Amino acid sequence: MINQVRNTVLAVLNKNNYGYISPSDFNLFAEQAQLDLFEDYFYAYNYQVNKENARQSGTGYADLKKGYEEVIDTFSVSATLSQIGLPGSAVFSVPTTATTGSNYYFINKILCGSNLREAERVHQNKITLLNQSLLTAPSDLYPAYTMEGSLITLYPGNFNVVGFQPGDVLCQYIRFPKTPKWTYIEITGGEPVFSQSQPDYQDFELPLDDQTDLTMKILQYAGVSIRESEVVQYSSSKEAQEMQQEK
Amino acid sequence: MAYISQYQYYENGGNQPEDANWGSYQYVSLEDIVTNFQLMYADNHTLVNNEERYKILFHAKRAIQELNYDAFKEIKVLQLTVGEECRFILPSDYVNWVRISYYKDGVIRPMTENIQVNSSLAYLQDNTTRILFDHTGAALSPQFSDLDIARITGQKPSIYLNRLSPYFGLLGFEFEGCWYFDFPIGARYGLNTETANANPTFRIDNKAGVINFDSLMKNESCILEYVSDGMENGDNSKITVNKLFEEYVYAYITYTILNSKFGVQEYVVNRARKNKTALLRNAKIRLSNIHPGRLLMNLRGRDKWIK
Repeated sequence: MINQVRNTVLAVLNKNNYGYISPSDFNLFAEQAQLDLFEDYFYAYNYQVNKENARQSGTGYADLKKGYEEVIDTFSVSATLSQIGLPGSAVFSVPTTATTGSNYYFINKILCGSNLREAERVHQNKITLLNQSLLTAPSDLYPAYTMEGSLITLYPGNFNVVGFQPGDVLCQYIRFPKTPKWTYIEITGGEPVFSQSQPDYQDFELPLDDQTDLTMKILQYAGVSIRESEVVQYSSSKEAQEMQQEK
Repeated sequence: MAYISQYQYYENGGNQPEDANWGSYQYVSLEDIVTNFQLMYADNHTLVNNEERYKILFHAKRAIQELNYDAFKEIKVLQLTVGEECRFILPSDYVNWVRISYYKDGVIRPMTENIQVNSSLAYLQDNTTRILFDHTGAALSPQFSDLDIARITGQKPSIYLNRLSPYFGLLGFEFEGCWYFDFPIGARYGLNTETANANPTFRIDNKAGVINFDSLMKNESCILEYVSDGMENGDNSKITVNKLFEEYVYAYITYTILNSKFGVQEYVVNRARKNKTALLRNAKIRLSNIHPGRLLMNLRGRDKWIK
């Protein structure tokens, strides 16, 4: 998909001799555009939930929420969290490229213990009170966790201290999309030729129906870059039109 | 909780204790209740959403506690021997008592709660009645007050018609088949039914966490029937509720969350409240288990002549 997007972007830009963007610029714009659209999925999902609650949404093929869920789920990862400190410690690292292979955008759930009980995310301003609560203090059956910086702390503090096994704390999260990269081979005296066999090649991870949106987003960035307000206006209006249709 | 096999049910899969699963099908666990509530009643499209699990857990436990206080007919029974100090320490999960009995010679005799004070705190005093203090400024107390000593040693006469009554063992005389007794002062007209009981008496000191008996209970066996709050000493995995009340617990959680939430329309809160109340009523009727078999024996006596 990335090559088609690039070709379209270049075609639009070249139509009126607005200019040209280099592969490195395109890759930068592509990353920004993908992140922007990726985040929009969560807002769109929430919008659809509200539409459903207002009985303004349908089922079957009209179930747009399901489509958004499917896209978001393509970024879902389940991984074991890395323990920080001594064995038995209840402190773990958040998912990162170094520990789980990808950075997290949204931690959906944390499962812990031999029975993989779901831990509940508790805000820092509640955890002290919660620990003091007789009825609702975190327990093996109802564990909780807090986040501080890049650390996740599980409660109760002695949770599984005895007999803690690696792999006892699992995290299901939504990772960020991988950075797209349009790769090419140089040919002398000519245009760079697209090559997807390069080791650092990375296509867009968003679905095919986002191709138009990606193109428009990149055009916006490119238009700003080459100081062509017409390009920005055109792509912005197209994008707004597209969003309106999708609602 | 998954369904279990017959072998698991009857013999706990060969593990101890063997009776761990007996009768378990009547109950639904707290874990199931919280899980089911989160799945079925707390979602994007339900009245309750974006609610923390610990709040659901709290309200579920509160519902179970409330049910344990009156709706459940699950009375716990503890038998202990009363010691030299004539007291019975309340069980660790005690909330309220139902009946206290004196068990002797194979007969359970329900006891009467003494209407008079039978225990007190005391401070040490000097010969000018000034209270004595320790170096921290706290008043010094004896182990037992005079009232307690009198009760424990049996020196305190009882207004009840038991062996501690001042009239117990008084000489009488028979005249034409009837017994007559002399009384120290005045005369006695009729019987005070409130105190007409020959068994030992007790009084509960809730703050001290003990039941104080009169000296007649020394080294005697006592049976305490009491209610708890069903919290199983904080072990969440053991907390259960009768299935007849399952729907009520969901309704209770829904109501309490909606009731405490900002911006929920009053009619929605009212609907939840009525639903909760109706379900509690239904569950109580179901639990009362009124059926012909139970009424039959009572109704057989309806034509009995009252002499």
